[in-house]
Amino acid sequence: MLKLLAALVGVTLVMPPALAQQKKPAAAGFPDGPGKDVLVSKCFQCHSPNMWMDQRQDRRAWESTLYRMVGRGALWTEDEIRQMADYLGNVYGRKQ
Amino acid sequence: MRELVARFLSQSISRRTFLKGLTTAGVSLTAAKDIVEALVPTAHAQAASGGAYKLVEGTGAECFAEQLMASGVKYVFGNSASEDAHFYEALVDRPQLKYILTPHEGPGAAMAAGYVKASGEPTIVMQAAVVGLVNAMGQMFNAYKEQTPLVFYSYRTDQSGRAGRDGFEEVANQEQIVQPMTKYAWLARRADMIPETVRRAFKAAWTPPYGPTYASWHSDYNDERVRAEVISHEKLDPRMRVRPNPAEVDRAAKMLLEARMPLMIVGDEVYNAKAIGKAVKLAELLGMPVTQARQIYANFPETHPLWVGNPPAARLTSLDYPKNPDVVINVGNKLQHNSVVPMVARDPKFIDMRIDSASMGNIIALDVPLVADVAYGLDDLTGAVLQLMTPAFKQKAAARAEEVRSFHERARGLRDLVMKNPDWNRAPMLADRVTREVAQFADPDAIIVHEAGSVALHGFDFNPQNGRELFFYYGAHLGSGVGTAAGVKLARPDRQVICLVGDGSFVFGPTALWNMARLELPVITVVYNNHAYSGPHSRVIEKVPGGRMVQTGRFFHDYLGNPDMNMALIARGFGVEAEVARSPEELRAALGRARKATMDGKPYLIDAQVARVGVAWAENPWTPPIRVAGERTRKV
Repeated sequence: MLKLLAALVGVTLVMPPALAQQKKPAAAGFPDGPGKDVLVSKCFQCHSPNMWMDQRQDRRAWESTLYRMVGRGALWTEDEIRQMADYLGNVYGRKQ
Repeated sequence: MRELVARFLSQSISRRTFLKGLTTAGVSLTAAKDIVEALVPTAHAQAASGGAYKLVEGTGAECFAEQLMASGVKYVFGNSASEDAHFYEALVDRPQLKYILTPHEGPGAAMAAGYVKASGEPTIVMQAAVVGLVNAMGQMFNAYKEQTPLVFYSYRTDQSGRAGRDGFEEVANQEQIVQPMTKYAWLARRADMIPETVRRAFKAAWTPPYGPTYASWHSDYNDERVRAEVISHEKLDPRMRVRPNPAEVDRAAKMLLEARMPLMIVGDEVYNAKAIGKAVKLAELLGMPVTQARQIYANFPETHPLWVGNPPAARLTSLDYPKNPDVVINVGNKLQHNSVVPMVARDPKFIDMRIDSASMGNIIALDVPLVADVAYGLDDLTGAVLQLMTPAFKQKAAARAEEVRSFHERARGLRDLVMKNPDWNRAPMLADRVTREVAQFADPDAIIVHEAGSVALHGFDFNPQNGRELFFYYGAHLGSGVGTAAGVKLARPDRQVICLVGDGSFVFGPTALWNMARLELPVITVVYNNHAYSGPHSRVIEKVPGGRMVQTGRFFHDYLGNPDMNMALIARGFGVEAEVARSPEELRAALGRARKATMDGKPYLIDAQVARVGVAWAENPWTPPIRVAGERTRKV
């Protein structure tokens, strides 16, 4: 185990600086799950998540929110909207 | 008698009227004829100047009116001012000057600005001293931000003989109040300097880059009798339509041709220079995608296959396509920055073509500056590109154009997905539904005046080349929409004009509805009424995420209900027929009635009930518990 850890540390240390810079920090408040990558790539190019991280609503309401973003210029496919709505409904669904 | 002679010399009256006037004044017919003969050479000399110069004798206000006509003014917008009595007196015999009484200076100035923007013709907006001026200054601010060549005038209520005595409308150094938001602000120092002051204001306003100007003088100068020279605008206009530096043009052409992916941003200088066709030509030559950040007008046909849409978050990086332009050319866009991040990143080379050199190079570093009237600039650049064009460049441009066209068509389909919102048919309506209903209703060449700040338009396919036109706002002083729409309709009576306005904006400036009714300006006004300030609601939450406001649902600043405002009743109070629409079906029917009303020459207003959507809106929003009822001890 110690050898494996040392090897991993070594890999990290020799990682080229450019590659290290490309590693984006994980988005706080967004646990991994299906649809997260689509959400992060599509939503964060326009605004920070600060505003809507406070929102708790069911999947259908999230879907409506996402379609309103289409009205504001977002160019997403129906499938991408479905994936994001699934994710948000799951992670930021209505509090029980 | 002297005034009669002056009017004859200035060709304000005919030879026959002059003769009649002399005899009425007691001069014998023979003597009158002698006077006429003696004056004819002078009159001819003035006529030979093409009417460019006139010697006017009369009150200061009459000289003011004469200079306005010489400056090309047809409409005068103003609010009642007793100190302008002699100006109103001068209007009686000068029907060429049409005075439009506006019941509030703010919407009045917005109406004047709308007229200027839609007609390209000069006008002046008059206020009563500083008390009226400060009401108009919100729209003066907008005109400054939007570079609208609008001339403002207000007298100083203190008379020259008793200034500085704390008069009830008096403030010291009145003309200095407006200086940060005008190109020129000046006080005429004598009554005979009124025409000179006025024509200088018009010259400064109408010399690019355009902007508002302000002229003022002591009110008693309007009453004083003087002799002054009046000069037509064409004798003062420096005609500042400059061509770009040829060496820089060649550099720009080479850069664009060698680019892997050039991108063009267009802006309002393109519309103002009537250079839309030239922008299209350059884009087509290079197979270059085109976008536009926030501006007043749509400056490129949105139906054109090279149009890639507006960047959703203003920055070019928020565009879906192209993702990595290596050369960006801006043609006539001021590039308003509302955040610290430059709209054009440092990576691509940047060519900036504008007449407004003062705002170039302030935020975005320049690789090629092209200071020019953009119509000339586009002509010269297109010519330079054509000279350097080779079959290989042509092939590259054609391949790129095909790629852009493919994105354009895909994006069109994706934008229409807005109609798949699961709440599309709800009542009260989604703002998007109201927008799309109006887009489907509007004439193919409708003019859309848009002051619904939180609403993004879609589905209109704006095309300033004989299609639908957009008049948005660039300065953020609210209350301009209704007035602007009235001014636009005044300038373009044969075009359908639709005003889209938020409820918050509407209540800042509804008085121009009365002008629509009185002047028979058949504008359709649609109010997006969600009984709230949506924009401030969202932005406050973004600034204080998860804060006490969100936790408690207590927002002090955004809810306009309890009681709800009825915009239809407000409109009726101004003489405009109106109704409330709660659902898509009601809206569609209301639009039909609006069309019928406007065909009959009458304005119409629809109060469209819109849902409050977004974070932390409650069904019945909390309002601060301020009620005086519990404090009253008497039933009065």
